[in-house]
Amino acid sequence: MKTMTKKERVFSALNRQEVDRPPVANPTSVATVEMMDLVDAPFPEACRSAELNARLAATEITEFDFDSIAPYFSIIQESSAIGCDMQWEQKDNWPTVRMSNPIWQSASDVKVPKDFLEHKDTKVIIDSIKILRKEFGNDIPIIGKTMGPWTLAYHVFGVEKFLLGTIDNPSETKLALEKLKEFTYLFGEAQIDAGADILTVPDHATGDLVSGQYYKTFLQELHTEMAENFKVPLILHICGQTVDRMPAIAETGMHAFHFDSKNKPQEAMNAVQNKIALVGNINNPETLYSKTTTDVKKEVFECLNAGVQIIAPECAIPLKTKSENLIAITEGVSDWISEHNKN
Amino acid sequence: MFEHEGLSKEFEFVTKESEIKHIGDSIKNTSLKMQTIAFALIQGDQDTVGQITKECLEDGITANEILDNGLLNGMSIVGVKFRDNIIFVPEVLIAARAMKAGMAHIEPILSESGIEPPGKVIMGTVKGDLHDIGKNLCIMMLRGAGFTVYDLGVDTSPEDFADGFEEYQPDIIGMSALLTTTMPNMGRTIQYFEDIGLRDEVRLMVGGAPVTQEFADEMGADAYGESAIDAVEKAKELILLLKDLKN
Repeated sequence: MKTMTKKERVFSALNRQEVDRPPVANPTSVATVEMMDLVDAPFPEACRSAELNARLAATEITEFDFDSIAPYFSIIQESSAIGCDMQWEQKDNWPTVRMSNPIWQSASDVKVPKDFLEHKDTKVIIDSIKILRKEFGNDIPIIGKTMGPWTLAYHVFGVEKFLLGTIDNPSETKLALEKLKEFTYLFGEAQIDAGADILTVPDHATGDLVSGQYYKTFLQELHTEMAENFKVPLILHICGQTVDRMPAIAETGMHAFHFDSKNKPQEAMNAVQNKIALVGNINNPETLYSKTTTDVKKEVFECLNAGVQIIAPECAIPLKTKSENLIAITEGVSDWISEHNKN
Repeated sequence: MFEHEGLSKEFEFVTKESEIKHIGDSIKNTSLKMQTIAFALIQGDQDTVGQITKECLEDGITANEILDNGLLNGMSIVGVKFRDNIIFVPEVLIAARAMKAGMAHIEPILSESGIEPPGKVIMGTVKGDLHDIGKNLCIMMLRGAGFTVYDLGVDTSPEDFADGFEEYQPDIIGMSALLTTTMPNMGRTIQYFEDIGLRDEVRLMVGGAPVTQEFADEMGADAYGESAIDAVEKAKELILLLKDLKN
């Protein structure tokens, strides 16, 4: 098979088609402190300046030879632009929304600020994508990211209040999600216009918090609608245990699902029945953060043996992950191919 | 099985032999009113829990009896269902809210009576981490098991934990983290307690999504709670150890 460009490889994998080799891509983030130091683009500035953001995002290609670039490192850019109370933190920690100080009480409060897309913290991602597109041309896929309404609801209403509302007043919850999805569309479309080839949609209806039935009741329809309306492939990301909701996720028409190491690769592949591509699921807190390259490669092999289409860390990687463990992901894929060809 | 049909059905979710015996024995000789409180708590029906608790107190039933035979029996089944993925966080939150509605009536009486709780705990999410759902679940479960718990909130520095220790004199300090970037702050807090000479005065327990037993051991924690339910079990074990040490 002829050698594919990174873009061809990732797109083929997303479409569950044949590839010259399985791609390595993280649809969430590969920012690390080591890379921040290398290119002098530390947090939180790299989350707030397009130039620094693009410089840090580019290390995914220049240092690790992954098959894509994802310039949105956290989950808070929209929430900052909406007006949430923020804690920007330092180089060694992700910025966070102070969810204990929610800005809205009910669905009727949900309104898109006039300057939402001109706000510094949304514009930084849009401008970074433009820089990266210009710098890397069309052969490297850029993965944008736009938060789903469920995750935004945690930020604007507070986690506990929002989850209590799902039982006290599910109609109100549905209305809030319906209104919040406007942010998902606006920010996603703006990134596509700027040059994003693919969008990740994190929407944390995780099995660590809510049941699989919740996914069907509150989100499946919204995600199906997104898959129909966005003009680029979508990768849904949900952390934690999700195997119980994977069959429903697989029916949405999204191109891929980025899954957590709490779900075994083979179990996940069985759950989705080849109706959606899977991206994942190298363990972050133990394997990438503190184990050896051998351990990383072992997990790469487990994913590839199961048929996972795109190899990736399970989520945004720990900021203090060693580079050698990230390089080991790509090496693991090469080792697997060599072994596969021998047999 | 029990006089209350709904509670009997809820009890079917308890499948471990030791729990069937422990929880079953605790429920079987209780009155219909106590069983109604337990059932309403599992359903998250705060109005019924509050109302019946109030009526029972007016009828002369003791606060302790309502706590043990009604509220805590209900919370035990909630704990089992949560651990076994039969219910999830929203269902636990409404059960905890119902528990609170009952406790609002009985807590003042218990405080006046001077009965000692099984243990005193302070809890916080560590420095740099603003996630509180895991911590809050642990607090609810610990309170549900009768512990007195003081919540230090989120973004809690080692110094804040030390201040909390000085103020509340707890048996246990619980630390929570959701982020891989912040979980090392648990180790820093443990080290801080070493540095200021308080390490042997209190038991330190850790937990949170990225935290593992291995990581807890490396940091020198006294216990690791894999889940909110497990945190309660570990807290009970630590209290027993402390009692043994005192004896």
